[in-house]
Amino acid sequence: MSITDLIYLSQKSLRSNILRSILTSLGIIIGVSSVITMISIGSGARIEVEQQIERFGSNNLIVRSQSSSNRGVSMGANSVNTLTLKDMEALKEELPAIKAIAPRVSLSTQIVANGNNWLATVTGTTNDYFDLGNWKFENGRSFEEEELASGSRVAIIGKTVQKNLFDTDSPIDEVIRINKIPFTVIGLLDAKGGTAWADLDDTVIVPLKTAKQRLVAKKFPGDQIRSMTINVRSSDLLFKTEKDVDTVMRKLHKISANGNPDFVIRNYAQFLNARQESSRVMSILLATVAGISLIVGGIGIMNIMLVTVTERTKEIGVCMSVGAKKRDILLQFLIESLMISLIGGLIGIALGLGVIFGVSEYFKWKMSLDYMSIVLSFVFSSSIGIIFGFYPARKAANLNPIDALRYE
Amino acid sequence: MININSLSKEYVMGDNKLLALDNIDLSINEGDFVSIMGSSGSGKSTLMNIIGCLDVPSSGEYHFRDNNVSTLNSNKLAELRNKDIGFVFQNFNLLPRLNAQENVVLPLLYSGKNLKERNQLAIDALESVGLKDRVHHRPNQLSGGQQQRVSIARAIAGSPKLILADEPTGALDSKTGLEIMKILNDLNAKGITIVLVTHEDDIANYGSRIIKMKDGKILEDKKNVNN
Repeated sequence: MSITDLIYLSQKSLRSNILRSILTSLGIIIGVSSVITMISIGSGARIEVEQQIERFGSNNLIVRSQSSSNRGVSMGANSVNTLTLKDMEALKEELPAIKAIAPRVSLSTQIVANGNNWLATVTGTTNDYFDLGNWKFENGRSFEEEELASGSRVAIIGKTVQKNLFDTDSPIDEVIRINKIPFTVIGLLDAKGGTAWADLDDTVIVPLKTAKQRLVAKKFPGDQIRSMTINVRSSDLLFKTEKDVDTVMRKLHKISANGNPDFVIRNYAQFLNARQESSRVMSILLATVAGISLIVGGIGIMNIMLVTVTERTKEIGVCMSVGAKKRDILLQFLIESLMISLIGGLIGIALGLGVIFGVSEYFKWKMSLDYMSIVLSFVFSSSIGIIFGFYPARKAANLNPIDALRYE
Repeated sequence: MININSLSKEYVMGDNKLLALDNIDLSINEGDFVSIMGSSGSGKSTLMNIIGCLDVPSSGEYHFRDNNVSTLNSNKLAELRNKDIGFVFQNFNLLPRLNAQENVVLPLLYSGKNLKERNQLAIDALESVGLKDRVHHRPNQLSGGQQQRVSIARAIAGSPKLILADEPTGALDSKTGLEIMKILNDLNAKGITIVLVTHEDDIANYGSRIIKMKDGKILEDKKNVNN
């Protein structure tokens, strides 16, 4: 008896009791859709974390100024920039775990070029900024030592700025005006895309010295800076270095170990860990649901198949009397339970896809459809059909033809 | 064709032993039409099941054609039933979900005939019992006589050597019963051996040989002079 014949006979009997077949596969439906959702959440989180690292660089700590209060009295707006280039040099010297530090000053201002104008964030920094932030150049180059040292009026622009100011894709050697001061464009950065809170490509980068002398001389007098990005040599040193930076900074700023610091250290890895952790908890929860429903679903299939075998005892006898072998009966019932579980699996996959798209639409939660999860679901549901269908099928196959024929 | 030597069948029910067949000797030749008669409990159905390779004897020997049936495993028995034996039951035993043609195709499925061949064989069989215009009807859309004819078609579709009919007219009115007997008679005329179990004299009379059984023993075995 060929497989197609077996499938034909099985679908006949399943269709004669279609509601029961669907209800039986409910456990599998829930189990499989949970498996798919679980895997999607997991790989979505992983991809998101990878993207964040891609965008912001890995193993980075960011130290920012924070307005301090002295005995409950705010020190005023000028005290906001508490970080200095001296702090930066000191950190580099004291902590060998630090590979590089990129200082940063910034202002938000109008950029004019080509008869267009655009409000963008202008950053003054050094070449380390590009390596640490994982910036790549679509066109042009980074700063030359001479430009950094002399405070040349050169600028590197982001994709958003380029699109809003220029018609051309290569704005190299064009002139833009920042606060009415002309700068020559020497580089164009690759697009990074937006995050939920900011467009990373809406940026103009100039040498630190140029910015301090010509753009933010009042805002960041002397060697004050807004923030610095610290790159740590390896990820296992990240958390220890975070503590060390805190200690060194407190010493430099003469703040006691339990005093209010005038700086804040952001460790991006913390956010990523939290994100990964929450999706891991979610995945464990779903895996539990999936596991329980698959087992319950399997028991449901076994239960219904046992009922079916009993109901169709006489029929089994008839089939045996016309020449069905044990193997034929076994296969027919196995294929029936396999079909129930596969139909459940298919509906479960559809439901899981629905959940994935629903969740990523409504909650803006990053989900990634892993095609392996569909394959996995098929394997899962079919093995459940075979495992839990085997006992009833064997029971049917081992019936004595006479007893089966006489059964009423 | 059928050779039975000192065959016994014993059923154990709890502490009781029931001797359904008691040391039976019987041989049936190819082309015979044998009626087995007896009251219920006489062992006629048990004998029929053993002849039909549905059951195996407790002791004794049964040779069907060249096979020593007592020594065969369940797969070989299934093969014999599939290729050489056709069953006709009192209550038809058709599968309710399948139409007439699909019911007739069933034994051909198990013998592994290809789609085209088995559909043709099924239609031929249905035609030969006069149901050519009912091939797509389900059992519940057919009368009792038509259902019994479908089951005869199923029995002959694989061109068996032997047809076993267990009270084939028991669930039918007498007129329809006669039609069924006529079909069986025609099949016998074509050379198919028929073993019929019944308790009605006029049905048994279709046989060329009548065996009467009682308490697991053969009481009487004689040629039917009326036939």
